[in-house]
Amino acid sequence: MATVQQRVVAVTARVLRLDPNTIKPEHHFARDLGAESIQSVELVANFEEEFGIEMDEDAALSVSTVGGAVTFITDVCKQQGIDV
Amino acid sequence: MLEIMKANNKKPFSLVDRTDPNLLEETFDYGLPPLVRFDGPIVESIDGKLVTFDPQALKTRELVITDTTFRDGQQARPPYTIEQMVHIYDLLSKLSGPNGVVRQTEFFLYTKNDRETLDRCRSLGHRYPECTGWIRANTMDDFRLVQEMRLAETGMLTSCSDYHIFNKLKFKSRQECMDRYCQVVDAAFEAGIRPRCHLEDITRADVEGFVLPFVERLMRMSEQVPEHLSVKIRMCDTMGFGLSYPGVELPRSIPKLIYKLNQEVGVPSERLEWHGHNDFHKVHINGVTAWLYGCDALNSTLFGFGERTGNPPLEAAVLEYIAIRGDLSDVRTETITELADYMRSIGMPIPDNYPFVGRGFNTTSAGIHAGGLRQDERIYNIFDTTALLGRPPRVAITDKTGADGVTLWVNEFFGLKGAQRISKIKLHKLARWVMEQYEVHGRLTSISDQELEVKTRELLPEFWAKYRG
Repeated sequence: MATVQQRVVAVTARVLRLDPNTIKPEHHFARDLGAESIQSVELVANFEEEFGIEMDEDAALSVSTVGGAVTFITDVCKQQGIDV
Repeated sequence: MLEIMKANNKKPFSLVDRTDPNLLEETFDYGLPPLVRFDGPIVESIDGKLVTFDPQALKTRELVITDTTFRDGQQARPPYTIEQMVHIYDLLSKLSGPNGVVRQTEFFLYTKNDRETLDRCRSLGHRYPECTGWIRANTMDDFRLVQEMRLAETGMLTSCSDYHIFNKLKFKSRQECMDRYCQVVDAAFEAGIRPRCHLEDITRADVEGFVLPFVERLMRMSEQVPEHLSVKIRMCDTMGFGLSYPGVELPRSIPKLIYKLNQEVGVPSERLEWHGHNDFHKVHINGVTAWLYGCDALNSTLFGFGERTGNPPLEAAVLEYIAIRGDLSDVRTETITELADYMRSIGMPIPDNYPFVGRGFNTTSAGIHAGGLRQDERIYNIFDTTALLGRPPRVAITDKTGADGVTLWVNEFFGLKGAQRISKIKLHKLARWVMEQYEVHGRLTSISDQELEVKTRELLPEFWAKYRG
């Protein structure tokens, strides 16, 4: 089973149309990966779908890096009883 | 304490740090238009003396709004039908409320239609606005019309600038003009009708040389008749020359005009009225200035529609009245929207950006503003326009709107509030569609409500089924 990080990278690559091999945990979604405002919203929506979770909008949108997203999603999955 | 401006008035200021917002709600009570609050007297220099005016008196004086939609308002457009005028009158009465904040309205009396309109309006049985007449008063026959229509009060033309006295009315002298006006006022007294003298072109008149002696004579004449017939004075800023700021000379100074009529000639505030025109974009503030300096009645028209550039907008006066008083005074503000909808339906154009009633008056298209609205509508809405005007803040959908704006639109469309509101995360497909209209398809126009409705149904079927199914 893929790890949270691998799934986050896959979603990010799909939404931002990037090669997954170029995405690193320290990458900033907007600054390094070029995510525009609407794409940030799409990322959060796709993470929710991928992991079957509901995230607080403001908290989710304040996460700025790939690694931060991995940590945030892992916490949310734990809180919502989702096995990852 | 009066302090002269010095070369250096600098003083130190320290940050007042806090961790919770101070929203200044004593002024910006969201349930009312922002309150007009004064923190000291107003000072004006008149004839070399410093005169103070107490703005707190605004709360205790009987300020009223009078209406001339059917007279000045109708001089700027083809005539209204009788049915239209009766309906507008009915709505004006509803807006006015039981306290008669919209106190009077005036009617032409010359044609059969004019008279039938007046009869039909009165047959509605409303106490306010009271119906008054408007006559040229060139002949005594005009008073017979007022008598026949059983009106207690009529306005009459008593133009007071030399432009009118000599160049228009062709009087040989000011004395001849004043005598003639006073004859007409006497005729009104004899007919048992209260005359309201319309001092046309007062802001271009010789105030000391004609206006004040004339009004003084009118006040002396009024002493000979019962109080209910005593002359009212309407100051007509016919060309919009009046100025609100202190220090301006006569005849353009509204503060000085009112001070002289009110304090030096002795016209009581309740018998003074201001009628403005908007030729220099000053019409509303000039009207409110008249209230401030001692004139109780502000004459206005619905949506400012009147001769040339128009008159003080009645709906703005109503909201200012509430802001000054600090409460709704039983005014039914939502009727303003009803009146605007009706006026549009009978072909009167109201620009989209027109305050309080234009289609876009509380519509934002900037995404950053929409984001603010989404978080707390007070950030970008002037007051609770939903409660007071039945007009929730809206977003116009363009390339600048962003996901925040689309979210606001969808929640508004479904009528969702508070915790019910849908997060923008759930609406990303619609936001993406909007973006692509501009980025991919090169669209240059905003997206209509109808288009968005169709797309909402298509892209958000689960929400459509839940809230519209």
